[in-house]
Amino acid sequence: MGLDIRIPLGLIFLIIGAVMTVFGFFTHGDAMYERSLGIDLNLIWGLIMLVFGAIMFFVGRRQKWQDDPVDPRPWESPDKTKLRH
Amino acid sequence: MTLTYIDWLIMLVYFAFVLGIGFALKRYMRTSNDFFLAGRSIPAWVCGLAFISANLGAQEVIGMGASGAKYGIMTSHFYWIGAIPAMCFVGIFMMPFYYGSKARSVPEYLRLRFDEKTRALNAFSFAFMTVFSSGISMYAMALLIQRLGLFRGVVPDAYVFHVSIVLSAVIVLGYIFLGGLTSAIYNEVLQFFLIVAGFLPLVWVGLRNVGGWSGIKQTLPASMTHSWHGMAHANTNPLGVEWIGLTMGLGFVLSFGYWCTDFLVVQRAMAADSELSARRVPLIAAFPKMFIPFIVILPGLIAVSVTSHTMASGPAVQVSTAAPLDQQHPHGIIPQKTDPITNKPVVDANGAPVYDYDLAVPTMLLHYFPTGMLGLGLTALLASFMSGMAGNVTAFNTVWTYDIYQAYINKRASDAHYLWMGRMATIGGIVLSIGAAYLATSFNNIMDALQLVFAFVNAPLFATFLLGMFWKRTTGHGAFTGLVAGTFGALLHHGLTIPSGYAPGIHGGWIATIHTYPSDMAQNFWTAIFAFTINFLVTVLVSTASAPRPEPELVGLVYSLTPKPVEEHLDWYQKPATLAFAVLGMLVILNLVFA
Repeated sequence: MGLDIRIPLGLIFLIIGAVMTVFGFFTHGDAMYERSLGIDLNLIWGLIMLVFGAIMFFVGRRQKWQDDPVDPRPWESPDKTKLRH
Repeated sequence: MTLTYIDWLIMLVYFAFVLGIGFALKRYMRTSNDFFLAGRSIPAWVCGLAFISANLGAQEVIGMGASGAKYGIMTSHFYWIGAIPAMCFVGIFMMPFYYGSKARSVPEYLRLRFDEKTRALNAFSFAFMTVFSSGISMYAMALLIQRLGLFRGVVPDAYVFHVSIVLSAVIVLGYIFLGGLTSAIYNEVLQFFLIVAGFLPLVWVGLRNVGGWSGIKQTLPASMTHSWHGMAHANTNPLGVEWIGLTMGLGFVLSFGYWCTDFLVVQRAMAADSELSARRVPLIAAFPKMFIPFIVILPGLIAVSVTSHTMASGPAVQVSTAAPLDQQHPHGIIPQKTDPITNKPVVDANGAPVYDYDLAVPTMLLHYFPTGMLGLGLTALLASFMSGMAGNVTAFNTVWTYDIYQAYINKRASDAHYLWMGRMATIGGIVLSIGAAYLATSFNNIMDALQLVFAFVNAPLFATFLLGMFWKRTTGHGAFTGLVAGTFGALLHHGLTIPSGYAPGIHGGWIATIHTYPSDMAQNFWTAIFAFTINFLVTVLVSTASAPRPEPELVGLVYSLTPKPVEEHLDWYQKPATLAFAVLGMLVILNLVFA
């Protein structure tokens, strides 16, 4: 299939990661982080997601996805008569 | 619980991507093969992640967390004894026949190997089960959304359940209708990474809170932190199973029956771009699968290790300094079960409170996650529910179109017609699932009853495939009678035995009680062992009595008559067998570490 899954995968992690990082940055030290033992999970985890998303996105852009299916496709090989009704 | 705009934003981003992938793939769906088999063009690692993600549905995430809270690390047997060895077996030994025979589905393999009636039996029972599983997934999701009050303030309380059902149905329908199996597989990859991203921080923060694994070991009784503790006898461990029942029942019959024959997972491997890739799919999947217990079972264990004291006093107080837990029934932050109608806490016969272990994982999310991260955690939870549903729906539309519609209703239609039928079957499957979900709301017992039906139908299956693939003398008559006999054997065994503490009825003993098992899990495992054995014996007996098929017809379908896959061009580390040994080696280490 002509779409490399790593591109949407990278994008969704970049977007969610960015949202969490920005939100975490502005709410740093907020009382709600007592729940997560004082750790600013939004900032830390958002940054980790950004890095992961960036890697996936660029690897997906760089490597050529196997665009053409295997030729001949398995059901197109000569002895296909066995399968059809 | 209150969600803020930021939580909603994260969930919205996810739903936009899910549907976006469907739209992006729509233009590639030109033939029925593109729709049902993903054009057999997906790389092995993508199929591998979809392979585990399709199984990582509601029952898995909620159920394993609940089981971890209830029984402890012993739950890992479902992975380290159950799933992984079976995944190695299907990759090394069985995939060449599924992929190489050019069958388009598991029931179709049965027709090629045996005959029409065996295929029909498998196709109909499988189609029935997928629709109900997807319905149960939908029901569980709607129930959870309702109990957590996720839509409070957005949707009136009375409609939350219906809105959740319709919303999940529309989204899953949307992306499968547009992009078929490819869309389902791509979304499962997305779901896999989101589940990891949403649950890993939970384990991290949770472990910090309870003082790491050593903290859990100090707090909880030894039987909950050692996976092989007291396995010598059924009465000395919380599962109520001894090691024979565990390894044979769960490790061999049930797990091999599921991972090696269930089209829901096998379909993902059959979408791979070559036979070699298809064989690698379950093996690649086995690596992350091994570590899934750490993100689904561990939260359950952490939930029962946290005492209510730590909740109020914040991060400074460690569990070790808090009051000791009740050794018998540690419940930590697990909430009490409440009656959905009266909203009163449920108590058992002795007046003791009953805890709702199914809420272990959701409670953990609410306990530890701040706004923002909570949105991601809930997205992960919703993603897991949807992947479970989508897996069933794609398996259903394929089996319906190829094994029921094309086989018995309309044999000679054009390919475009079957592609259209697949899309219609997707709609039909979802509508039936919604029906199943509502059926589950009105009959409380229907879930238990369905689980039983699944057990009876699935338990004997593996014997049929094992004999079919590895004994060329097995005949169609043998396979068919064996399957039917195995299912009735399971039914009979269930009717004659009962787990202790239950009244005769849906839990067993409805014919007579000749044996009492210490737990329902033990009964379940032994039912499977009986069903398998009966199927095996009957298939062998009837096969030897009926006429064998000529050997040339069985080339590519039976082990001894099929040329071994060519591997000479591969280096040693590229061979599937090497991967399998690496997987099994790590498995032994994990079992030893947590023994």
